[in-house]
Amino acid sequence: MEKMRYPTAMVLGFGLLLGLSGSVYSHDPVFSPGPHVLFKEGIEVHTELYRSDRGDKAENETAIAFKYGLTGNWVAGVALPYQYLKEGSERNGGVGDITFSTKYRFWRQDALGTQESMAVLFKVKPDTASSDGVPSTGTGTTDALAGLTYGYESLKWYRWASARYRRNGRSDIGFQRGDTFLVDLAGGIRLTPPDYWKPDTVWLLELNGEISQRAELDGRELANSRGQEWFISPGLMWTVRNFAVKAGVQLPVVNNLNGDQNESDYRAVLEFEWHR
Amino acid sequence: MKVLLFTLLLALIWPAVTLSAETLYEIRVDGLACPYCAYGIEKKFMQRENVKQFDMDLEKGVVKVTLKDGEEITESQLKQLFDDAGFSYRSVKKTPR
Repeated sequence: MEKMRYPTAMVLGFGLLLGLSGSVYSHDPVFSPGPHVLFKEGIEVHTELYRSDRGDKAENETAIAFKYGLTGNWVAGVALPYQYLKEGSERNGGVGDITFSTKYRFWRQDALGTQESMAVLFKVKPDTASSDGVPSTGTGTTDALAGLTYGYESLKWYRWASARYRRNGRSDIGFQRGDTFLVDLAGGIRLTPPDYWKPDTVWLLELNGEISQRAELDGRELANSRGQEWFISPGLMWTVRNFAVKAGVQLPVVNNLNGDQNESDYRAVLEFEWHR
Repeated sequence: MKVLLFTLLLALIWPAVTLSAETLYEIRVDGLACPYCAYGIEKKFMQRENVKQFDMDLEKGVVKVTLKDGEEITESQLKQLFDDAGFSYRSVKKTPR
């Protein structure tokens, strides 16, 4: 059983990016966070479909998430994924680890038709999913993430930047995925001026970097574990009043993984979101 | 007699006309760049029972709200409302309709 959990956890080091660091909402980029929060007492319902391929490893995930606006600058939420995983000839599906998140916008500068702001965000993913089955839908660890994000939006142009650090916990069998530093730059353009009552489209292009330390087993570093991956990610946000659809594809442009590992082929996401 | 009747009719109608005056609030707001993000403003206004009509012009940064007969929103209430929605209230122009 322990032998089986090791490669599974390696896969999840890649796969659970969605659950803990990739899943971003509101009028922010598709694959990276922005400083957007929710209006006070507002409720956000978010669902998404996610697909990633890496050699003979594949992950399909759907997730549902809820957020609540504690104030006009502070939001808290919870997300629950359901995953279907494939690793070689092994397949498994089930509920993944639950994620709790919060974001606080600590700086905002408003002008006519523009908003510029910064926020801090925190997430924690406790070990809630079942570790049975191969590949496992849970990491068997409690992980935490902290980040800082900046965003500027106008009636035409958008730009964002963010940096996040994910601290991965150690499992019962002594396996620990390497900590990960995530850095993102994103830009967006709205080709037609917005009208509050009409559908609105913003086209996006992101650069997403993931720099991970080697995993450890009983304190010893594993040669064939993580490294760097950088992605170019085109996407779009389509909204009408309080309903949004977001979609994007992450395409790897730089792979510098340690040792012998499968490189990412692509990741894709389709999101639906509703504000109440 | 006709004059008396007309005067009586006018006396009855006039207060009703003046009391039923709705008020259009044209509110200058900064930070409006995205319709989806601005939904919170509509939500906050429509939670109030005294709002009859709501509209928004993102390019001009103006939120237009028509209040029902004789209703009012104070400047401090507006400031709080926009703060809760995540935007910056700047000024208001009230026009009886």
